[in-house]
Amino acid sequence: MTDRQSSEPAATTLGTRLKSLQHDLFRSSLHDERTAALLGSALGVTFTICFATGLYSHFAQHPPSWFLLPSRPAGLYRVTQGLHVATGLASIPLLLAKLWTVYPKLFTWPPFSSVANALERLAIFPLVAGSLFLLFTGLANINLWYPWKFNFPIAHYWAAWTTIGALIVHIGAKWSITRREIRPQRAPTANGARVHPVEVDAVTLERRRFLGAVLGTSAVVTLFTIGQTVRPLRKLALLAPRRPDTGTQGFPVNRTARAAYVVDSARSPDYRLVVTGKVSRPLTLTLDQLRALPQRTATLPIACVEGWSTSQVWTGISVRDLLTMAGARPNAAVHVVSLQPARSYRTSDLNHWQAHDPDTLLALEVNGEPLALDHGYPLRLIGPDRPGVMQTKWVTKLVVQ
Amino acid sequence: MKRQHETNPFVTWSCAVVGGAICLYGLHGLIRALDGVISRQFLQWFVGADLAHDLIVAPAACAVGVIVARLVPTSARAQVRAGLFATAIVIAIAWAPLRSYGHASAPGNTSVEPLNYATAVATVLLVVWALAGGWLVLSTLRRRANRSQVDREPRPPSLNR
Repeated sequence: MTDRQSSEPAATTLGTRLKSLQHDLFRSSLHDERTAALLGSALGVTFTICFATGLYSHFAQHPPSWFLLPSRPAGLYRVTQGLHVATGLASIPLLLAKLWTVYPKLFTWPPFSSVANALERLAIFPLVAGSLFLLFTGLANINLWYPWKFNFPIAHYWAAWTTIGALIVHIGAKWSITRREIRPQRAPTANGARVHPVEVDAVTLERRRFLGAVLGTSAVVTLFTIGQTVRPLRKLALLAPRRPDTGTQGFPVNRTARAAYVVDSARSPDYRLVVTGKVSRPLTLTLDQLRALPQRTATLPIACVEGWSTSQVWTGISVRDLLTMAGARPNAAVHVVSLQPARSYRTSDLNHWQAHDPDTLLALEVNGEPLALDHGYPLRLIGPDRPGVMQTKWVTKLVVQ
Repeated sequence: MKRQHETNPFVTWSCAVVGGAICLYGLHGLIRALDGVISRQFLQWFVGADLAHDLIVAPAACAVGVIVARLVPTSARAQVRAGLFATAIVIAIAWAPLRSYGHASAPGNTSVEPLNYATAVATVLLVVWALAGGWLVLSTLRRRANRSQVDREPRPPSLNR
C-alpha cells in the first residue's frame, strides 16, 4: 500500500468523525444558512453605520487636508457619535448570535474546497477577530476602561478598516446565498403546491423565536443605554456609564481640572487670553476685559466620543468677533491652546467655517452661571458640530493661521 | 437539507479585490501606527478576542443550550434561552460599571458611573425576565387556544369510528 493510499482513508475517517461529532454537538436547526443570512444582513447594516459614523468622528478629530468639518448642522456630531455608540452596543447581541449560528462551520472538514473557498475562509479570521476586538474595545472605551497599552483611537480606527475590508470579502462570497435566504420562503408541499406563508413549520417558528430573542436583547440594550444621549430617556440609562443630567453644573465632565493639572493656573490672577499669529493687532486680555466684551449666548450640544451628549446654554465671546478685533484675515483658521501641560487634546483646531461661525464661542458662562473649574473656567471653547474632546477647556491662547 | 454552494463569480471576485485591498490598507495602518511591544500587545488582543470566543464563549453557550434542553420543558425553552442570552449580554455590557473601572480611571470625577450599578443591573434583569415570563404566558395561552380550536373542529368521517 502506498503512502497516498493509506492517507486517503485516514482523511476520510477524520472527516466522517468530525461530521458525526458536529451532528451530535450542533443539533439545533438554527445553525442554518437562513438564520446566518438574516443575522448577517442585520450586522452588515449595523457595521456599515458604525464604520461611516466612526470615520466621520475620526475625520472630525484628525481632519485630512481634503476634509473640512462643517459647522452646521450644530448637532450633527451629536447624532453621528450617538448613533455610532448605540449601534455598536446593539451589535453585540447580533454578533454573538451570528457567531453561535455559524460556529459548527469552524469544524468543517476538509477546511476548504477550492482556492476561492480558502480565500473566503481566510478572510473570516480578520472579520471575526476584528468584529470582536472593535466591539470589546469600544465598550471598554465608553466605560473609560483601558486594560491595554496601545492607543485606543488608533487601534480602533485601523482595526475598523481591516474588519470592514474583510466584511466586504465575506459579503461577496455569501452574496448569492444571502440573497436567496433572506427572501420570504414558502416551503413546497408534497404535490408541489406552495403553502401559505402564515402556515409555518417548526423550524421557522424556532428561528422566529430565536431572532426575536436576539433583536429583543438589542432593543433592551438600546433602551437602557440610549438615554445618555437622548435626554427624554435619561432616567432609563441604567446601563450607561454617564447620565446627561449628572455632574458639575448639571452635566457630565470628561476630564476634571485636577486630572488636567490646571487647578492653580486656571485660578491664577495672572491668567490672560492671548490672540496671536497672523493678525495685525495681537491681543492680550485679562478676565475682566473678556467679561467687558460683547457677549453672545447660544444653545449648543457637547457631544463626547464616548457616546454621551447634552445641550446647554453657553454665553461668551464669539471667536469671530475676537478675530475681527485682532485684524485676522476673513478666512483665517485658528489653533486653540489650553492651559493644560503637554498631553493629548491640549490643543484643537478651528477650520475657517468653524472659526467664523457666530456661535463658536469662548464661553465664560453656562446656563447663566460662571463656568465651573471642571467645565473649563475661566474660558472654554464651545462650537457647533464638534467632538467633545475638541471643545478645548481652560483656553489661554488663539494662534491665528 | 444540504444546499448546493452557489456563488456569483463577478460579485465574489470584485468584493475580494476591493475588500482585500481595504483589509490590507487597515493592516498596513496598524503596522505603521503601532510599534514594537505595543503592536505585539495589539495582536494579543486581536487574536485573543477570537480565541476567547471560539474556545470559551461559544462552547459555554452550547453547553448552556444543552443544559436548558435537558432541564426545561420544550414549551418554555425558547423563553428561558432568550432570558439567559439577554442576562449574559446585560452583565457583559454592565461589567465595567459593576466593577467601577471608570472610577479607577477618573478618580474624583463624580459624573463617571454615577449610579449604583448592582441595583441598575438587577432592575434591567427584572425587566428582561418579566418580558420572558410574559412571552411564556402569551405563547401558552395561544397554544391552548389553538388546541381547543382543533378539538372543536369536526373530524373527518374516516376518523369518526
